[in-house]
Formats: sequence, C-alpha cells, structure tokens
Amino acid sequence: MLRHRLSTLLAVIYAAALFGFIFLPVAVLVLFSFQDGRLPVPPFNGFSLQWYEAIFADRKLMAALLNSLIVATASSAVACLLGFMAAYGFARYKLPGSVLQRGLLIAPMTVSYLIIALGLLTVLNTLGIGLSLWTVGIGHVVINLPLCFAIIYSSMGDHHVNIERAARDLGASDWKVMLLVTAPMLMPSILASFFLSVTFSWDEFIIAFLLSRFNVTLPVEIWSLLRSGLNPKTNAIGSVVFLASIALLAILELTLFRKKNTP
Amino acid sequence: MSVGKEGNEMKTGKRPGACMRRFLQSATALAAIAFAAPTLAQDELNALVWCDHTDPTLIEPFEQANNVKVNLKDFEGTGAGLSIIEQSQPGDWDVMVIDGVDVQRALDMDLFAELPADALPTADIFPEVRLDKNNSRDGKIYAVTEKFGYNTIAYDKSKVDVNDMKNLSSLWSEKYKGRIAIYDYYLPLIGIAGLELGKKTAELTDADLPAIKDRLVALKQNSKQVSDVVSSQTALATGEVDILLGGGEWITGVLSADKPDLDWTIPDEGGLLWTQSIAVLKTSKKQELARKFVQYIVSPEGQARLATSSCYWAMPANSKAGDHLTDAQKAALRWSDQASYLPKTQLYPVPSAELDQKMQDVWTEMLQQ
Amino acid sequence: MTTLSLENADRRKAWGFVAPALVWTVAFFVVPFLFMAAMSLWSRQGREIVRAWNLDNYLRFFGENALLKGLSNSLEITLTVTVLSVLLAYPLAWIIAERVPKRFQRTALILAILPFWTSYVVRSYSWLLVLTKNGVINQALLGIGIISEPLEIASTRTATVIGFVHFFVMLLTLTIYANLVQLSPNYRRAAADLGANGLQTFWHVILPLTLPGIMTGAFLTFVLCIGDYITPQILGGNNELVLPQIIMLQIGRRADLPMASALSIVLMLAVTLAYALCARWLKIDRV
Repeated sequence: MLRHRLSTLLAVIYAAALFGFIFLPVAVLVLFSFQDGRLPVPPFNGFSLQWYEAIFADRKLMAALLNSLIVATASSAVACLLGFMAAYGFARYKLPGSVLQRGLLIAPMTVSYLIIALGLLTVLNTLGIGLSLWTVGIGHVVINLPLCFAIIYSSMGDHHVNIERAARDLGASDWKVMLLVTAPMLMPSILASFFLSVTFSWDEFIIAFLLSRFNVTLPVEIWSLLRSGLNPKTNAIGSVVFLASIALLAILELTLFRKKNTP
Repeated sequence: MSVGKEGNEMKTGKRPGACMRRFLQSATALAAIAFAAPTLAQDELNALVWCDHTDPTLIEPFEQANNVKVNLKDFEGTGAGLSIIEQSQPGDWDVMVIDGVDVQRALDMDLFAELPADALPTADIFPEVRLDKNNSRDGKIYAVTEKFGYNTIAYDKSKVDVNDMKNLSSLWSEKYKGRIAIYDYYLPLIGIAGLELGKKTAELTDADLPAIKDRLVALKQNSKQVSDVVSSQTALATGEVDILLGGGEWITGVLSADKPDLDWTIPDEGGLLWTQSIAVLKTSKKQELARKFVQYIVSPEGQARLATSSCYWAMPANSKAGDHLTDAQKAALRWSDQASYLPKTQLYPVPSAELDQKMQDVWTEMLQQ
Repeated sequence: MTTLSLENADRRKAWGFVAPALVWTVAFFVVPFLFMAAMSLWSRQGREIVRAWNLDNYLRFFGENALLKGLSNSLEITLTVTVLSVLLAYPLAWIIAERVPKRFQRTALILAILPFWTSYVVRSYSWLLVLTKNGVINQALLGIGIISEPLEIASTRTATVIGFVHFFVMLLTLTIYANLVQLSPNYRRAAADLGANGLQTFWHVILPLTLPGIMTGAFLTFVLCIGDYITPQILGGNNELVLPQIIMLQIGRRADLPMASALSIVLMLAVTLAYALCARWLKIDRV
C-alpha cells in the first residue's frame, strides 16, 4: 500500500515536472507578448497590448497568415483525396506489386523535409518554373500524402466490404459507392488525417522557405520577422496562433471527435 | 496578390475533382476579397533588398504615391543575393540592394542598368561614400550609395572597460572570454581579423588566410556565439554577451531608446566601412518605375526613413536627410562624428571568386571549431 | 467464376483509384529525388553549374573536416535527442495510460501535446529567451539561490538539444501512449499469475510489446531531427554547424546546388542506415 502511494507520488511529481517543461516556453512566450517595451526578456515591465496592435497592423504578416491557411487547407484536401482514393484502391482490389506501391506511397515519410524541398527546388530551377505558393502546396502534398494514406488505409477494415457490396448490388457505380458509402463510413479517419496534415502544413518551415518567393506562409514570415528587428511582435503572433489553434482544437474535440469515443 | 490568377490555372489543370474545385473557388474568392483593396489594377515592383528596406514606414509612402505594390525579398550578403538572382528568371527582379564593394562583381555579370546622372542627387551625397570607382564603370553610373556604417566593436558600456575597447586585441584576452558575439558575415570579420594583424583589407591575398584563420579560431574560442543581425541584437540587448565584434551603430541605434548603455567605437587598429548601393536590374521590364524607386530611396525623405528603419539604423548617404531626422535620431546615428570616423576605416575586402570561396571555407571551418 | 475480362476491368478500375497518388508521388518526390542525386554528381565552378559527371562533391565532403564534422555533429545531436526523448516520454505516456483515470486520459494527452500548436519557429525562439543569461530559468534559479552565476545554456549544443527534446517528448508521448493502451491487460495478469513482480512484468512483457511503437516513434524522431535547420540555427548560436545548416549555407551563400545535393544524399544515407538498423521493429504504415 505504502509502495503504491509512493509510486503515485512519484508519478505525480514526474508528470508535473514534464508538463512544466512542456509548457515553460509557451508560458514565457505568452507572458512577454504583453511586454511593455522592446525586449521580450525579464524583467517584465508592465502590461501592454501594443505588440498585438502591431501584428494586426502588419499587412505582410496578415497576408502570410491567410496564405498559410490557404496552402494548409488546399494541400491537405488534395493529400486526403489522393490518400483516400489510393487506400480504397489498395484495400478493395488485389493489385500486382501492391506491397511495393504502398511502400512507394509511404516513402516520403522517411525522408527529411529538407531533402524533399531541395529535390523540388533543383527540378523547378532547371525547368525554369517560378516559385510561388503553388510550389509550396505541391511540396506539402508530398509530405502529407503518406500520412493521409497510412491513416485512412489502416482504418479500412474488411467489415465495410459487405455494406459496399450491398450498395453495389443495388446498382451503385464504383465511384458512387466510394463517395456515398465508403467515405462517410471512414469520415472520422479522413477528418483526422485532414486535420493532422493541416497542422503539419501550417507549421512547416523548410519547404515553404525554399519553395516560395514573395507570397510566403506564416512560418517563413515569422522567420524574417525574427531576423528584422528585436521586439515582442514574434511573441504576439506566436500567442495568437497558439490560442486560435487551441480554440479550433477545442471545437473539434467537442463536436467532431466526440462521437469516436462513444461507440 | 496573384492567387486569383493562379486559381484559374488550377481549374483548367489536370486534377479537377469537384470538391477540390469548389474549395479552390472559395479559397480564391476569399483571397480576392481579402486583397481586393490593394490589388486594383496595380503595378508591382520586385525588389531584392536588405532587411532595412522591409520596414512599411519606408515602403508604404512610395506605394501610395505611385499606386504600386512593392514585393520585397530580403537577403544577407552578396553571395546570397546573387544566388537568388541566378535561381530566378530574367525579368523577375527590378531593383537590388548590394554591398558597395560588390557592385563591380554584379557588373561583371552584366546585371545592372545604367542610371542617368541627372536622375541622382550626386551632389548631396557625402563625398566619402560616393564611391564612384565602385558604383560606375567606363564613365557610366550603375548604382548609387544609399546608406553606410561601420563594422567595429559594439558593447555595453556598463559592463566592459571602455578603454579596452580602443584596442582590438583586447577581444582575444582572457578578460572577455565568453562575453563576445561575432557577427556572422565572413567578409567584414576576415577584414577585421586582418586589421588586427596589421593588414589592409584591400591587400588581402591567399597568403594571408592561414594567419587570419588562426586569429579567427582563437577569437571564436574566446567568444560565446556567432550570430546574424537580430541574434546579435538579442544577445547584446539581453545581456547574453557584452561585446559584439562586427557591430556598430547599425546594431545599437535601433535599441538606443531601450538600452542606452549600448555603445560602439572604432578601435585604434581601425574598423571596416560598409556601404550599401541600390541599382536597377538590366533585365527589369519596369525600368522607369524601378528608377523612380531608386530615386525615392535616395531622396532626403526616403533616406531619413531608411536610416532609422526597424531592422537596423545607419547613416544615410544623402546629406540632406538630416533635415528630416530628429536630434535624438541624429545623436543615435552620430551624425556629427562621421568626419572623425571615416578616416579610420577601410572598405570591405573585394576577393576574386576563387579567394571568396576560400574565405567562405575559412569561415565554415572557424564555425566548426 | 470470374472471367479474365472482368478481372481486367477490375484492375483498370483499381488503377484509377491508385494512380493519382502514385503519379503525384513519382512526379514530385521520386523524380526530384533522382534529379537531385544526379545533380550531386555535377559541380559548381565559378558562376556556372558544370554538367560533367564526377564525384568531386563527395570527395570534398570526405576530405574537409568542417563538412565531416557537420555529419558527426548531426549524428551526435540526433542520437542524444532521440534517446533522451524516449527516456523522458515513456514514463509520461505510461503515467497517462496507467495512472490517469480513463475519462481524463484524452484530456491529459491533448494537454501534453498542446504546445505543438505554437508555431514551430516561435517555439525555438521562445526557448532562446527562456535559456538566455537574463532569461526566466536563470532568473528563477538565481532568485532561489541555487546558483550564484547565471548558467551558460543559450547558444550551446545543450540549448539545441533542449529545444529538440521539448518537441519530440510531445511527439513520442503520443505514439508510445497509443501503443500502451493497445496492450491487453491480460498480459499483465498472466505475468502476475506466473509470479512476476512489477519490474519483471515491465521488463519481460510490457517493454518488448511496446518496442515496435517506441522504435517507430524513435525513427520518426531521428528523421525529423537530423533534417532540421531551425532549431540548431536559432538555439545553437553557430558554435557548431549541423548538416542541414551546411546545406543551407551552400544554397543561400554560394548557390551551389550540386554540393547541397551531395550533402543531402549523405544526410539521406544516414537516415537509411538508421532505418536499416531498426527496420525489424518498424511499422511505418501503422503510425
């Protein structure tokens, strides 16, 4: 009994320490976004909203925010669509060499983003194709497609087959079955993979940095913000992104993913 | 904003998919709404610049006066800038900011267009930084100096012995071990290491590199970090280090209000003078607009804004800019002390492509020590 | 029963589903990768990229200490980070899976990964501010009186490692937790019935069963960590360079894409080696 209590105590201490470690930079970030003055380090001079005003007045930063939103949702939508179709194809049909092909689809996951970016950069450069948000989006589909495919494929169990067959027997075409029967059944994992890849794309730096030009995504803009003058604007934009993501997460958690918990 | 145009390209692309198309349409519409105001029938100017040009207070007046959108991409160091140009298509860029000493390098690559002499306020530019030899070739002007400053020693005067700062060699002493940041740009720092060894920057050759490398490695061992503009500012401002070698008014000026103890000096061995020039790209399809931009930047108003831009402060090249600066700003820029600084400084080394590679190698090796 | 023609029709249909993803991956991943591999055999001379095939870039890599050291720095940092992250994350995942009541587990898990959603660049920068001489940690420790001189953490390898470990502890807590909750409690009961104590059960039963999950997470950590540029660039203070920093220098300062490509291939080989070493535990497509 004593041992159990002792181990519980240890567990609490350990968890508290690790949560402290995990939240330390975020807490500091948010605190100093309210700093009254240019230096985002102690001492805390007083509470001020000036840096929040500054970021909302920063046209480039706001444009980057919108760019990120567009690139993240569009590239994730493409990645999900392609991933879902491929998962459906592999799960429902026996294709020759399918192990190899599945391996190919997963392969980008095992390669550093820097290498993916550099590969695309060398090709685009040689072909003389200009860099834009489109090239960033293409890169993001490359990194997110394996993820979407893996998640959706692993949730595609055999028990769905009967329902699909029933639909087909009732005269539905393959595409109809996929869109109207399979997709709704797999919606939780499709959504999960969509939001996961939105998260990755939203936060991705190196591909966005190397494959973009004037219209940049938020992480790239934050990077140049960091290099163009010391002030707590970086803290403010970081905090805004954080709070907005938490809000979104909370909404998703309370609506979409709630169902998954209660069978 | 070109999202709208690209949206149309995507729609005719290979991979329609009803959902995707609907999504793209709404995304395009969203983008169009968000950018409706500034995109109406606007011209765009693409400028490859240093970070001081990205300050909206500098760019927006020009944008509004000419109803254009200035697209800015910032880079550090001529190598990086030329590398971006090489990776672009001709005509992608209209204006470029470049180290004064590297204008000739760009002219070797035939990058810049001639600037008519009557378009420039040459008479108003401080004669010491006019640098005709750098900015022109065969009697034709290709670039104009817009800003200048020094790479010397910046420090926190409440923490160091100010007398030590008059001597470059003190930075190698045990006393300042772990209290120094080195500015991460190989050219001026190799120049400074040369000065410490009593070598003139203009005369550096291959043969000097081994000795310079040894000095740099020793310096590295005595210092805390090697960092870019903002990391350097951060380190000085937060007290992480007390000295920045390679720093100057460009690092202390912008922080003058928050950190009055930050100061800089030119030691007895001398310091490096940097100048930045601005030029119009030869392949630009908007020669006239580009020239207008250059004229704006070197005008007294533009110069005052550039001198006190949010990334870093430094002396404007146009002497008339003083009329648009406050006394406090002029004090932070040390407006009236320039005459005493300029004779003590030398320009950046101008290496051949081959020597440049070797210098970069020395720098990489130094970082890896 | 099924005729040959039907099978063919089926196959064509199947290709219709699978092809778009495959084409995308080949066009934007395989081809660029092969192109980059080819380019690594070219070289940059002066301002030109010379398309003559040779191994110069690789010879230069193995001949220059500064470049080789980039690889060894990368490997040392990545291995340290991977091991530390696993060691720190496993107990946390275990506590969440075993000690936190079922209905709070999801909340606890989400809390553990919440800082994921601060922007990644901002997170590294925030660590810099936390670790600097006048940062919160030093101020707090000085205030309590544990130390009399501020710790020199910022701009060192330690800072880089801390920044990385922070990120990967979150990632690994997630993957290890997912693994732990899949274990049937029967295993533990069986082990107890056979007279094993808690530690023995863990060592002989739970650990081996969760090893695939750990290895998968560790491998992901390795891949993401060894290819990262931001964290060492912001936190390392340029006191040593890792391979991605050297690659970025080639792209940014020299426009030397062939050399950058060669270095990337080296990076790739390091990852492949890591993959080969832990391949038998990996289940990448089950992440």
